[in-house]
Amino acid sequence: MLAALFFCGLVLVVTGPPGADDRAGRREPRFGGTIPVLPMTFSHGDHFGQTCASCHHEFTDGTAGPPCMTCHVTDRSVAPLLEDQFHGLCRSCHVTEHAASRPSGPTRNCTACHLPDHDF
Amino acid sequence: MSGPRDAVADRGAVLATLVAVVFALTFLALPRLGGGWFWETGNALGFLALAGLLFQMIPYPRSGAARRHERLGYWVLATAIAHAFWFLAGDPTLRVYLQPGAPAHMWLGLFGLLALALLCVLARMPDRMRVHRRYRVFRTLHRGLGLAALAGAGLHVLLSGFYLPSWPQAALLVLICLACSLGRRVWARLQAPPRASAGIYLATGAVAGALFVLIRNLVP
Repeated sequence: MLAALFFCGLVLVVTGPPGADDRAGRREPRFGGTIPVLPMTFSHGDHFGQTCASCHHEFTDGTAGPPCMTCHVTDRSVAPLLEDQFHGLCRSCHVTEHAASRPSGPTRNCTACHLPDHDF
Repeated sequence: MSGPRDAVADRGAVLATLVAVVFALTFLALPRLGGGWFWETGNALGFLALAGLLFQMIPYPRSGAARRHERLGYWVLATAIAHAFWFLAGDPTLRVYLQPGAPAHMWLGLFGLLALALLCVLARMPDRMRVHRRYRVFRTLHRGLGLAALAGAGLHVLLSGFYLPSWPQAALLVLICLACSLGRRVWARLQAPPRASAGIYLATGAVAGALFVLIRNLVP
């Protein structure tokens, strides 16, 4: 029974839960890069009130160029850090806002940000 | 035959305390930070399994309570499996964290679960008597797999950084793990083996889990 359970687990890891949107857990090359990344959703409108430079470091360090994600998936020096950097940036800010009892974005729930139908 | 002092242990006071301590530990930092009922329920199962594993690790001769120890072990394994499947079946994104490139804390969690499953299979009576002819070999292997499972589970919790993000919490969890894995002389002061039934395990887990979910998601 245990072996069957672990086999079911393996199937779930490979295929995802039945009935779920197939794109939800599918990592694909996006934003012009070659590294596979999950779909994401982001709305500038939801972040009204935050200073632009909180996320857009290019506004202050003179690295202006293509849209942010393009560099972060093509530049070999930062592409491997994509997950750590964006999880750290987004989640730490959401946690801080939540702790201050202000409206905050998702703090833990994966699918809350990695929505398959809202590529940005 | 149980005496009056045994009765205290029989009612599961040690297990209930461990469940309470493990869940309370998560509230020492960011106590109201919730990720939604789905997320917290799944992780409540994980913390309950961790508390159960800690209880099972207590080094005390279980000569008279081996069967109860074995039965509770299956419930701890079932809870750990439920924790894993809860997320796998309910969050289509999370499977990415068990594929190549996944972070270390997820591999450690899987390692802990596999070690726990192997531990239960190899200790199952009466097959155990055929697999391990010598009790000393069984005991060493059983203890080693238990420590491996606990190390995997503990590091899974600590390195994920979700509920125990501060160093005092990490230090306390390590201390609890060490106290439950070692400290044979201290535990020997108990007058009776720390016993607990599956009913106590599930009841205390249900109460602690419900509080865990409600406080993080309903308390403003």
